[in-house]
Amino acid sequence: MKGILKIALGIIAALGGFLDIGDLVFNTQAGALYRYDLLWAVALGTFGIAIYAEMCGRVAAVTQRPVFDVIRMRLGFGPGLVALIASTLVNLLTVAAELGGLAIILTLLFDAPFSLFVVLAAIGIVISVALLPFGGIERIFGYGGLMMLVFIAVAFHQGPDWGAVGKGFIPSFSGSPLYLYFVVGVFSAALMPYEVHFYSSGAIEEGWTTKSLKENRLNAAIGYALGGVLACALVVVSGYLFHPLGVEPNDLGTVALPAQGAFGETGLLLALGGMLFCVGGAAIDSSFSASYNLAQFLGWEWGRYRGPKKAPRFTVSWLVFLFLGVLIVLTGINPVDITEYSVVFAVVALPMTYLPILMIAGDRSFMGEHANGKVSATLGWLYFALIVVLAIVAIPLLLATNGGGG
Amino acid sequence: MRRLVGPLVACAVLAFAVSGCGDLSRGELSRGVESLGAIAAQGQLIANGVARDATKSTYTRVMAKTMGDEAEHEAEKLADAEPEEAVAPERHAAVLVAEEIADLYGQLQVFPGDERHGAAVEKHMEEAKAKADAIAERLTGEEQ
Amino acid sequence: MTDEVLVAHRLLDEQIVDSDGHRCGRVDDIELTGSPPRITALLVGDGLYPRRLPKPFRRLARRISGPEVWGANALRIPWEEVDELGAAVKLRKKAEELGLGEGDNPDNWMVRRLPWN
Repeated sequence: MKGILKIALGIIAALGGFLDIGDLVFNTQAGALYRYDLLWAVALGTFGIAIYAEMCGRVAAVTQRPVFDVIRMRLGFGPGLVALIASTLVNLLTVAAELGGLAIILTLLFDAPFSLFVVLAAIGIVISVALLPFGGIERIFGYGGLMMLVFIAVAFHQGPDWGAVGKGFIPSFSGSPLYLYFVVGVFSAALMPYEVHFYSSGAIEEGWTTKSLKENRLNAAIGYALGGVLACALVVVSGYLFHPLGVEPNDLGTVALPAQGAFGETGLLLALGGMLFCVGGAAIDSSFSASYNLAQFLGWEWGRYRGPKKAPRFTVSWLVFLFLGVLIVLTGINPVDITEYSVVFAVVALPMTYLPILMIAGDRSFMGEHANGKVSATLGWLYFALIVVLAIVAIPLLLATNGGGG
Repeated sequence: MRRLVGPLVACAVLAFAVSGCGDLSRGELSRGVESLGAIAAQGQLIANGVARDATKSTYTRVMAKTMGDEAEHEAEKLADAEPEEAVAPERHAAVLVAEEIADLYGQLQVFPGDERHGAAVEKHMEEAKAKADAIAERLTGEEQ
Repeated sequence: MTDEVLVAHRLLDEQIVDSDGHRCGRVDDIELTGSPPRITALLVGDGLYPRRLPKPFRRLARRISGPEVWGANALRIPWEEVDELGAAVKLRKKAEELGLGEGDNPDNWMVRRLPWN
């Protein structure tokens, strides 16, 4: 019974922590521009992260190796270093985007200058991590993120043409560069690598073994599936309200507008509150992911359970990443723009960190009986092919559409 | 070296002409006006929240500032560019609508909690959107 | 011969862990001596990174990591110090005794200066 409760709580935390600023921005814009036509891309990305996360979790539980240990071992120092540098740059952009997003949401809730909130948000994160118990942080931010469920309520309240919504899950293709850009963006926002790297390191910190494999699969299947439903709700809600009006959601505040329309101030506060916890949790996850990757690649001591005294370099690098994130935001670049770059570059770097995991997950000499079966292997390799294609077209599309500006 | 100056200058002039630097085409103006319609539509939604007393005033104020800046930016962009002769009157009308929208957002910024003001702004935003749509229709000759 | 090659393949770039289970670096290079080659030592340290990179990048890497200073940024761990091989290379001694993991060593002057120490 206790085991079921633990798994359920884990799934709920995964659900609440599923969305980050990339999902908020890209899904809302996708809905406004293309109504329900990109739902299939959201579903594809959600399925992708479930597969990737399950593999990383399985590899971590069976071999006790987190992602960047696998990368260094499998790719060697040179290529591994390329993967590390790419990953770190993307993570840094992501940290900046999430911090900027946090600051925007705080200004929408409270009256104070944006730059002040950027610094306060970073300090708040450091204090939360320092004071709250490790497992507690994921739970708290995960449960807080559950406020995003208001978007599902808004969707039902709006009462869209569910037939049209359903059709959105059938892949459709358009030659329009802007459409293709959003296919890449929506997919990549769902499959952000830092989430998976964080999940993998977290599995080792939590002491997962082969006994935890069931929990791993359930987390991936149910937690991320439900998270995907939330992501789709963002598209539907935005598509219903914004598409007919031609509204272009270029600001984070616009994401919450449908909730205000449907449920007034309560809806608005739930939406903003949910966004706050989602983005805050993502800031923590992405900053730790950057430190995990660096420490694991170089062989340093790492882990929040080890603490700042036993893992000083890991801790210092974490603080440095947060600090650099703050600096990037304070340069004045719009956090929504930073978000777009972080999402696009993430998919470009994704093949480098995905492939080694896929290879190890299928390698019996490492995984024994837990290696990829025929179904997992097929899905895994299909997704790899897809990711490579997206990685190649991502930057050309970014340039062709002038950053999604059309 | 001196032999290159002539062709270089010609290239520069050609590039300048081809880039249409400062020239506002029908298509660009159309896109600008569509943007204005969207900005006004969002203003309607925000003002509606104020009118029903169903929103938070900090949210309204910050959104009004952001959107107002966008409208202002659009107004300046349209005003700075040189329009093709055919679309000059539409360009003028568009700039006026943009300024009107920026003004309305300014009011929301100053009175984010006032329900009567909210209702008035909502109505005026709707009218501004209608004006923007009308300009867009004139430009494309299609139904908006 | 095959076993040794396999071990070197699985040994290079592995995480090193000391007798207390503390992580203290990775196998950055391997010393092979004799014919047929036998592993005589593990080499650890960021002074060894430039060697691992393709030729065009070596000069830049050397500038960044500085010269190879044996005992400081390049350490030699004799093969006899290896206890067992698993998900990581486990050593018989503690990290400090071998000069490993200096960056995380609580007695290191830089670590002592950190605000939480």
